[in-house]
Amino acid sequence: MIELQGLTKTYGDKTVVSDISLRVERGEFSVLIGPSGCGKSTTLRMINRLIPLTQGRILLGDEDVTRLPAEQLRRRIGYAIQSIGLFPHWTVADNIAVVPNLLKWPRARIASRVDELLDLFHLDAGEFRDKYPHQLSGGQAQRVGVARALAADPEVLLMDEPFGAVDPLTREVLQNEMRRVHEQTGTTVIFVTHDMDEALKLASRIALLDAGRLVQYDRPIELLTAPAESFVSDFIGKADLGLKLLSRRWVHQYQQAATMSSEAPHHWETDAQGHPTCLHGGRPTTDVAPSVAVTDDWTATPGMTMKEALSRMVWYRVGVLPVIDDAGRLVGEVTLEGVMGRQP
Amino acid sequence: MMSALLRPERRRDALLPLLTVLLVALVLFMGRLEPLFHAAFPQLETAVYARESFWRLTLDHLVLVLVSSLISVSVGVAAGLFVTRRTGREFEPLVSALAAIGQTFPPAAVLAIVVPLAGFGFVPTIVALTLYGLLPVVQNTITGLRTVPADTLEAARGTGMSARQILWRVELPLAMRVIIAGVRVSVIINIGTATIGSTVGAQSLGTPIIAGLVGDNIAYVIQGAVLVGLLAIVSDLAFERLERRYRIGGEASA
Amino acid sequence: MGLDAHDEPRRIANRVLATLLVASLAGAVLLPFAAMAPNRLVSGESVSLLTALRAWQVLGLAALAGALALACLVRPLGERRGARLTLVAAPLALLLTLYGLGDYAQRALTDASPAARVSQGAAFWVLVFCTSLMIVDAFQRLGASLWVRSGYGLLVIAAVAALFAAGTFNALSILREYFNIEDAFVAQFVTHLTLVGLALAPTLAIGLPLGLLAHRRPATRGILFSVLNVFQTIPSIALFALLVAPLSALGDAVPWLGALGVAGIGAAPAILALILYSLLPIVRNTQAGFAGVDPATREAARGMGMTRRQILWRVEVPLALPVILSGLRIVTVQAIGLTVVAALIGAGGLGAFIFQGLGQYAIDLVLLGAVPTIALAVVADFLLQILVAVSRPAGAG
Repeated sequence: MIELQGLTKTYGDKTVVSDISLRVERGEFSVLIGPSGCGKSTTLRMINRLIPLTQGRILLGDEDVTRLPAEQLRRRIGYAIQSIGLFPHWTVADNIAVVPNLLKWPRARIASRVDELLDLFHLDAGEFRDKYPHQLSGGQAQRVGVARALAADPEVLLMDEPFGAVDPLTREVLQNEMRRVHEQTGTTVIFVTHDMDEALKLASRIALLDAGRLVQYDRPIELLTAPAESFVSDFIGKADLGLKLLSRRWVHQYQQAATMSSEAPHHWETDAQGHPTCLHGGRPTTDVAPSVAVTDDWTATPGMTMKEALSRMVWYRVGVLPVIDDAGRLVGEVTLEGVMGRQP
Repeated sequence: MMSALLRPERRRDALLPLLTVLLVALVLFMGRLEPLFHAAFPQLETAVYARESFWRLTLDHLVLVLVSSLISVSVGVAAGLFVTRRTGREFEPLVSALAAIGQTFPPAAVLAIVVPLAGFGFVPTIVALTLYGLLPVVQNTITGLRTVPADTLEAARGTGMSARQILWRVELPLAMRVIIAGVRVSVIINIGTATIGSTVGAQSLGTPIIAGLVGDNIAYVIQGAVLVGLLAIVSDLAFERLERRYRIGGEASA
Repeated sequence: MGLDAHDEPRRIANRVLATLLVASLAGAVLLPFAAMAPNRLVSGESVSLLTALRAWQVLGLAALAGALALACLVRPLGERRGARLTLVAAPLALLLTLYGLGDYAQRALTDASPAARVSQGAAFWVLVFCTSLMIVDAFQRLGASLWVRSGYGLLVIAAVAALFAAGTFNALSILREYFNIEDAFVAQFVTHLTLVGLALAPTLAIGLPLGLLAHRRPATRGILFSVLNVFQTIPSIALFALLVAPLSALGDAVPWLGALGVAGIGAAPAILALILYSLLPIVRNTQAGFAGVDPATREAARGMGMTRRQILWRVEVPLALPVILSGLRIVTVQAIGLTVVAALIGAGGLGAFIFQGLGQYAIDLVLLGAVPTIALAVVADFLLQILVAVSRPAGAG
């Protein structure tokens, strides 16, 4: 889909990006990561030619991007940045419509596309269409920024630390939305961050850069389990490698049938609709009551990471979590033994 | 980067002594240039203004500006201080508005309007110059004191400084550059308005200009205009240098 | 304006209004309200407010002063209602003062010689000044928007205009002076505005591109701003005068330029000097306006695939416009004032009356030049302030 071949950028005699080659397939979510100054942003900005490249080639499909007029190239590539850069004198709708307008889409198509995108990001179109950027919260503004980047169905979406400036809670929410939007739209994404947890959560492939050099380009699990050199494991951090791995694992992968038999060491009680109400047994320690009422706080969903599920087990001191569906019905369970009993 | 930013200042620094010497020389020896003016304007009978010596005119001009500026600055800074203290805070919006609206009044019109109230001559010119000169001083004193960061004041109070100590050791030093900028504007405007003062009977460097315009003597006009123009530029450069001395370390050079 | 815990309970809620009220009362009692003179060139005999006004007018002013005194107090009205009362009482006092002066002039002149003149005195100016400030203060306390202020200002101006139209002031010295030279006044007023207009158009044509240049090429800023600052520094009359010689030489040397009106005396040096004066604020504000555009916005525009021209016209210009128009506001007001001085080199305009009046010791003629100039500057300032507010992008909170 998009391929970098021997990409190099030098300023004077200083090499910022050195001979990077990698290929991003259609629909992939590729993350460029590395310490500050490693050249990840420069690499990204060379793709839409905001920075001219010194050497190498960039292929979009089978076209050499340097052969395309810069403005036309950029209209085919979505671009979202940390500082968002919404146009303060335009409404949310006008902001989202920038590229469709540049491409001279018909009005009606633009209007429906704007509403569709607001809807995609769960922003009420009636409420937000005519708002101005200064009336938005940081999280809302960043959603509009990403919606704007997606407006003209770009072939690739480039994102430069888009969630770097929002508070941790909002960042978490935005990351979840980004995953959902990527799944729904199937857009090819190249995403720059310096946050490994963010990369592990979002990426289908991670490119780790150091001092302008591509150190390893692999699926996240390979990066964790088969680091190409010590820099990789140093950068990821060895201390919580296990937890990092679990952050790439999902509850549905560990889910097993819920135990309903009262003969077993633990079993569930459900109400008429199938909602779990009570857990008997299943608690690793003896200083607590053997039966406990189920609350929303310690349930799991199939899309939750195992890291979060494990965290809930530890906090609520239960060896087993009920897995519930969207309607809150009991569909299975995950257990501490289940986590331990498998190589992550 | 730094040197590129500094370069114009350096160039202007060299200009200041040069232009000062030129100004003093012209004031003292304008008469020596008579052959030059004769050659340029052969149709004129007298080619150098002689009804009064140029140093006398310059002195009169400077007295007008200095007296009015001294009053403007002392009253203006005092007023600015008063409206930024607790007791005078209530007057601050009105005084600020007055200073802003007043500066839209044309100085020449203000000078003219003082005449019916104070008569002709030195006094109305001083009154007009003082009134007009007040406005930028008041405005900049208020702005300067207002822009002292609240954290800095909080910290000063926290170290146990008295209100007086805070004013002298923290507020005024931090506001000084902006206050001086106001004085600069005020003095430059007053140098110009004092020139027009010659039309209401106050002798100044404007006198040869007006005499030349009335008597169709371009040489007089040029002599007065060059001297007053130089005086203004030299004063502006001197103030610029003074302002720079009060620039706080980290501030940009803009 | 929150009260500190240490503040004692106060009786006077509005000390500004109280001060202005005391000043107007003192001025009204101590200073002459009008002057009566046998002809236009001598200063007259002072007449106090109490003798000049009719009983009902004095009582009316006293009642309004009472209302304003009430508006100062904490009880019974409080600050906001006090300010609203001020907005009713102060303009009434202003109008009554104006009407009282005109009325007095009419009565005083019925039995006097045709050459006799009645002019306004210091007490009159004090009352006009103080009541105007009371209105400004009241608006600040109410935090009224520019639109409310404009509407209210129009109302007061309409009331004053109605008094003019009704002939209330016709007996006053300054208006009799006006009737003597009505045609010349209109002509010079138009000349004044024409000079300003002829100077501002080329200033914008030169200044806007220069401002953009200063923004795009920081290296040009030092020299550009230094040179333009020199023009701003040189006293207006000196700059006008210095242009006289070269332009007269040019007009003589190049006949077709001379035919176009390029001459040492007159409009040409005036317009050129006005342009030189006006360039700095326009260039500086244009540069500052462009510099104020968030780099992230520009980066995003580039990343979206806008061309340089599209970025300039769709993003940078709309965002910089309020700052650029603030520059226009500065130079318009400045040019209106400088054009007064241009009269000295024969360019005409309202300054002609000022200097003519000063030469003849005819104070009314001086005022006839000065007061409209000031009014023109204040009105232009206000109108451009509204334009700046309108140009502010709807989104800029």
